Amino acid sequence: MIPILAQARFPAPEFENYILPQLQMETFIRDPIVWRVSALLLFLVVTGLCFYRWRSAKAMRLLALAGVAIFGFLFTACPCPVGMFQNLLAAFVHDHPLGYGLLLLFAIPLATALFFGRLFCAGACPLGAVQELLHWKSIQIPLPVDRALRLIPIALFLLIVVAVVAGMTFPLCSLDPYLPLFLWSSSISTVAFLVLGLFVSRPFCRYVCPYGVLLRLFSLVAWKTPAITVKICITCRLCEQGCPNGAVLPPEDAPTADLQVRGVRRLSRLIASLPLALCLGGLLGWYTAPIISGHHPAVRLLADIEIHQTNDAVEAFETSGTPLAQLQNEVAQVRHIFDWGMPLAGVLLAGVVMAELIAENRRRKESRSYTIDPSLCFCCGRCYAACPLNRKREPKEGAAS
Amino acid sequence: MISTRKFLRVLFGGGLLAPFLWLIGKRKSRQAAFLWQIDPDKCIQCGKCETACVLGHSAVKCVHQYAACGYCLFCSGYYQDKRIKFDTAAENLRCPTDAIKRKYIEDPYFEYTIDEEACIGCGKCVKGCAAFGNGSLFLQIRQGLCKQCNQCRIAEICPSHAVVRVPADKPYLFKRPPEVKT
Ligand code: SF4
Ligand code: SF4
Ligand code: SF4
Ligand code: SF4
Ligand code: SF4
Repeated sequence: MIPILAQARFPAPEFENYILPQLQMETFIRDPIVWRVSALLLFLVVTGLCFYRWRSAKAMRLLALAGVAIFGFLFTACPCPVGMFQNLLAAFVHDHPLGYGLLLLFAIPLATALFFGRLFCAGACPLGAVQELLHWKSIQIPLPVDRALRLIPIALFLLIVVAVVAGMTFPLCSLDPYLPLFLWSSSISTVAFLVLGLFVSRPFCRYVCPYGVLLRLFSLVAWKTPAITVKICITCRLCEQGCPNGAVLPPEDAPTADLQVRGVRRLSRLIASLPLALCLGGLLGWYTAPIISGHHPAVRLLADIEIHQTNDAVEAFETSGTPLAQLQNEVAQVRHIFDWGMPLAGVLLAGVVMAELIAENRRRKESRSYTIDPSLCFCCGRCYAACPLNRKREPKEGAAS
Repeated sequence: MISTRKFLRVLFGGGLLAPFLWLIGKRKSRQAAFLWQIDPDKCIQCGKCETACVLGHSAVKCVHQYAACGYCLFCSGYYQDKRIKFDTAAENLRCPTDAIKRKYIEDPYFEYTIDEEACIGCGKCVKGCAAFGNGSLFLQIRQGLCKQCNQCRIAEICPSHAVVRVPADKPYLFKRPPEVKT
């Protein structure tokens, strides 16, 4: 740190007895990533034990509290696994620096989901934990609305992937409404999400979180899934009403011949409309591409320069002396990425919608009990507490498969 | 059905392992953590640093590089352009929070010190110093205060793209002499 400066209008005076004050500046900043990763691993193990072995709703609440304390305040909530897919993507595309620590943060919750479902969401995710704690009375969202809203995270995920590839830094990180909370500050979205969260369980998790999309995908094929009760379900429906996240699936009747015929007809209709749906998705992407790319800083800057508007960005560009052609080049590249990426994302989104509709129509096994959909379950344990069969305490209740 | 699930599980697991293998193959990413810092040569003191930081009280502070200071009697970072008198009444001073402390050294020189508790990172003094003085004041993200957000909120909106990543063993960026500039 040899101080040299651009301007020197006035020469530094020569003092007789004056000691130049030293700048108090850190020379190295410690990175707590090792602790962060170890804490995450340990926390997930404890979460697994509480959820599968002890099956206790109270323990899960305590874990959420501990999660807020540890991953929210002790380690400040950022960087957290939720945003890491952006770092990974940026490392691939833009050679953004990426260490093993951050990559582990990304991979550990997903690996857990692959075996035990979304244990990460119970308490180890600072965002999820704070929503879990600040929830008062559940309003059940009607299933069709819920299913429609659940498409938002998927769309958002695809959008963020395109945006990161186009070099729009990390949009998800500024979307996170809960981060200011952990830094003792707040914003409009913080307040909005907190108020909404009082009545709607986990509004961010269910209808915004793009990392949740990956967790959903991975927990779909989870090796072990939770069972609401280890005894024989009496189909009292209490767990379904008790789950604030719509993750409890009702029993299925055996398909009748009539139902099967209708199902096959619906299926053929769906498959016939698949090309149309994909085209519509692509068109949607095509039409939104210019709108989204308009938010890219380089595109906005060029637009401002072209209409001779003066603002800070234009001023900074002019003082930096970058040739206009270079900016135009960059903008063309950004536009190109959006023009291809957005229609592709649209097609994928349409594909997901159709896949969900088709999956709805698959042949189901008859089931006589309420079960948990691991891809939507945040492992809060409320259904355990709601089930009357779990009330009578029997010592040493083992985990169910 | 069971075998499909197992197959998908192996597939997803492999997908999770792939980035690790990629990272091992690509040794040069094995660097220490990266921090956010303001490149003072790019910064135009737009004032956004004051409000954009996630912290209520911005992690950006004015830093004084004493060795480059002219110790001016009429410091253009200290005084307003349209001051009425060269005295220390608030309406004559540039800093909105009175964070610049001035100490008499010897005639006609004064030492200027930034009180970082009071500084809000607005950059007004930096602009004044760069315009008429030596440019010895500049804005830096104080790493002791900064939370190292994955995406610095200032970097996202900085009009001059002045907030850049620096390696952890070089946490601060100083101004470069003109000949090094390209
Ligand atoms: S859904 Fe997203 S925000 Fe919610 S707990 Fe899971 S990872 Fe965290
Ligand atoms: S544990 Fe899962 S299924 Fe049970 S109430 Fe909580 S979110 Fe719903
Ligand atoms: S936002 Fe950028 S240009 Fe504005 S004061 Fe901060 S670093 Fe300087
Ligand atoms: S003018 Fe602004 S940047 Fe300069 S010392 Fe005062 S508060 Fe800090
Ligand atoms: S990284 Fe976060 S805490 Fe640090 S200056 Fe940027 S916004 Fe503020």
